[in-house]
Amino acid sequence: MGRILNLPDLGSEDLNIQARLYYRLSAGLIVLSLIFVILTPFLAPPLTQRALIIAGVVVPASLCVLWLVRRKKLRYAAVFFVSLLWLIVTLASVTAGGISAPVTLGYVIVILIGVLTFKKRPYFIVGICALAVVLMALAQMTGVVTQTVEYSPVARAIIYVFFFVVAGLLQSITAMNTQQLLVKSRENEARYRSLLENIPATIYINSLQPEAPTTYVSPQVEKILGYPRRAFTDDPLFWTKILHPDDAALVKQQSRRTSESLEPFSMEYRVIAKENRVVWLKDDALLVYDENGKPLYWLGVWTDITSLKQVEDEQADLVHGLTKRTIQLQTAADVARAATSILDINDLLPSVVELIRDHFEYYYVGMFLIDEAGEWAVLRAASGEMGRQMLEMGHRLKLEDSSMVGWCIKHKQARIALDVGEDAVRFVNPLLPLTRSEIALPLIAHGNVIGAMTIQSEKPAAFSRVDITALQAMADLVANALENARLFTERVGLNKELESQNEELERFTYTVSHDLRSPLVTIRGFLGYLRQDVSSGDMTRFDHDLNRIASAVDKMQTLLNELLELSRIGRIANPPEAIPFGELVREAVELLSGPLEAGKIRMEINGAFPMVLVDRLRVAEVLQNLISNAIKFMGDQPNPVIEIGAAGTDADGKPILYIRDNGVGIDPKYHDRIFGLFNRLDPSIEGTGIGLTLVKRIVEIHGGRIWLDSELGRGATFYFTLPIPEPKI
Amino acid sequence: MVGEPILVMLVEDNVDHAELVIRTLEEHRIANKVRHFLDGQSALDYLFRREEYAGQENNPRPHVILLDLRLPRVDGIDVLKAIKESDELKAIPVVILTTSEAEKDVARAYYNHANSYLVKPVGFEEFKKLMDDLGFYWLGWNTHPHGKG
Repeated sequence: MGRILNLPDLGSEDLNIQARLYYRLSAGLIVLSLIFVILTPFLAPPLTQRALIIAGVVVPASLCVLWLVRRKKLRYAAVFFVSLLWLIVTLASVTAGGISAPVTLGYVIVILIGVLTFKKRPYFIVGICALAVVLMALAQMTGVVTQTVEYSPVARAIIYVFFFVVAGLLQSITAMNTQQLLVKSRENEARYRSLLENIPATIYINSLQPEAPTTYVSPQVEKILGYPRRAFTDDPLFWTKILHPDDAALVKQQSRRTSESLEPFSMEYRVIAKENRVVWLKDDALLVYDENGKPLYWLGVWTDITSLKQVEDEQADLVHGLTKRTIQLQTAADVARAATSILDINDLLPSVVELIRDHFEYYYVGMFLIDEAGEWAVLRAASGEMGRQMLEMGHRLKLEDSSMVGWCIKHKQARIALDVGEDAVRFVNPLLPLTRSEIALPLIAHGNVIGAMTIQSEKPAAFSRVDITALQAMADLVANALENARLFTERVGLNKELESQNEELERFTYTVSHDLRSPLVTIRGFLGYLRQDVSSGDMTRFDHDLNRIASAVDKMQTLLNELLELSRIGRIANPPEAIPFGELVREAVELLSGPLEAGKIRMEINGAFPMVLVDRLRVAEVLQNLISNAIKFMGDQPNPVIEIGAAGTDADGKPILYIRDNGVGIDPKYHDRIFGLFNRLDPSIEGTGIGLTLVKRIVEIHGGRIWLDSELGRGATFYFTLPIPEPKI
Repeated sequence: MVGEPILVMLVEDNVDHAELVIRTLEEHRIANKVRHFLDGQSALDYLFRREEYAGQENNPRPHVILLDLRLPRVDGIDVLKAIKESDELKAIPVVILTTSEAEKDVARAYYNHANSYLVKPVGFEEFKKLMDDLGFYWLGWNTHPHGKG
């Protein structure tokens, strides 16, 4: 019995309720038919036959409905059931004598049940029932059907009451079902909602307008973004206002595109959460359609993938870091190789600069070395076109706190500006406009700062601590290499100097042996003739030969004096004093006033002379020698002039001084030889050939240079440079 | 060489030495004529017949050249080189007569095909003896490659 009463599950609450309804109604009909058959012989004996006929139809038909319901053929069961009811009422009415039979009220029951069953087509049922009533009325009016049964008032009352009860029952079933459905749907909604609001993602609904305004957002949004839920619905476009500025344009563009194409939207982007937190969201949205395929709204899911992104970023950072480290090692190796293999500073610095810039892709790399005076850091190598221009301009920085490089040399410390806009110390260089961060590293060799390296990047905060360590290691390498190169150059220089001193010594001994021998040969030779002269009594010849001997002795005396002088130049040096060069010129001219007047030579002393830092006596000798030379080689110039002046400064800042004459001049092919010891151009003019050698040595001992500009017949100009005193600060 | 005037070219910047040489050579009647040049440039001009000697094609070529090494303008070694590089002149014997005993000078002279290298002696007798011998050898015994210049 229980098994029969338990209905199979039809898969939906609605269908189960319907099935239960048919089941109960069919069962009710069977019970009613049986009660009707039992009671009729007592209450209305003439109707007994009809009751039996009706029960005979109703009971099997109801059983049939029960069977169909159990077989889950609900639709057939419904049609079968409603048709059965209609048939019963019609049959009962016709057999009971037409339209006035109280059983006609049964159509109301049929309609009620029909509406319950075929929710959407009640007109059809109503139509069929009305048609049946109308046909029955017509049949009765034309006499085809005649009223055969006369209902007693009691029978009528029973029939009416029966229908009232059935109608009441039906209505109560309907109401109960509706109530049940309502409760069920509330339960369902609560379940879905709790599901929706507890999954670890935010659900939102956006309507279909192109801007996709928000109509719903699940409360998780407060947890992941920190904004109140209401913020999203009070301002339906709030979601577009919290997009990360870097991603906003792309997200809006994609949203507009999917709004038109109706394709699913899927993107990963950043939003600015409360307190300016950056949150990575994965956003997937689908269009939801109704049963007729009309789009309703966008249903989307936001998932917080910030930590996932962090892991991704960390991995990327790690790989990037490793790559960078490898490059740094490679560069360090290259720099080390360059440092050990290139001994010339002029080659080493540009190589290192290019190596570092290329490997690290920095904007600019430059190397500064301190100048000899220790006042300036002079740019010695620099990368790129800007570097070339700065080298050409002779870019240099004072060793003061006013520049990064100056500061770093002065304090022997690295100086780092991660965003140079904020570092007031940095020297703003118009040639390097893109620099955003810069480091200056001191070049320290054997504890002494010899210069600095500057590295600049277009990115802010481009230098990590590890970068700086690696770069400092390279700077140390370079500094040591520079020191080695310097020592090497110094040694080469010393060797060269030693070689030239050796050469000079050799030349000296050679010339001494040759030139001192020469008067000896003369003296001995003429002494021999002197004897002959005496024996032959030729006194004229005797005088002549004696004079020869005397002048050879004088010459020997001069030679010895000058040689002594020359040998003393290198050894005895008076401490240099700061003297106005003009004073030295005046003294020399005064000293030589005799020969100058004798030769009727006009002196022209030009312009302002600088202060010079020299050994007074030696430089006086230089001037005397050069002026005497000019006098000696004036030739037959009718209007002889000697001009002394200053002609600017050389590359090292030393003043260039000159002595110019308009005498016979010197053929350029002899210019190399005139400074050599005992080299004389004109044997007819007196002199030992030491003068210019002396001049050259004195100038060189002062760190200066001497050269001449002359052509045969066009006079000669001797130029020389001398050191100046340090400017007082 | 019979009857032929013997010409000696003396290139010497020291006039005293030149006088000594010329006097000694004349006393011994070795040379008919000594032409003295004070520097290397004028000696070369004479030999190559240029500058002030230009066009003097009949200038006799010397039979022997006595050449000092340290000379103004063009050095003795350069004069020697110029002579020995010239097809016309290289046959003329060049005797270096100098005060320098330096090995370097001796080597350089012979390297540049000097025919002899003599150091001026300091003593008078030695000087005279050298000049005698020099005259006898180069102007007497030695057979010259050419008749006239």
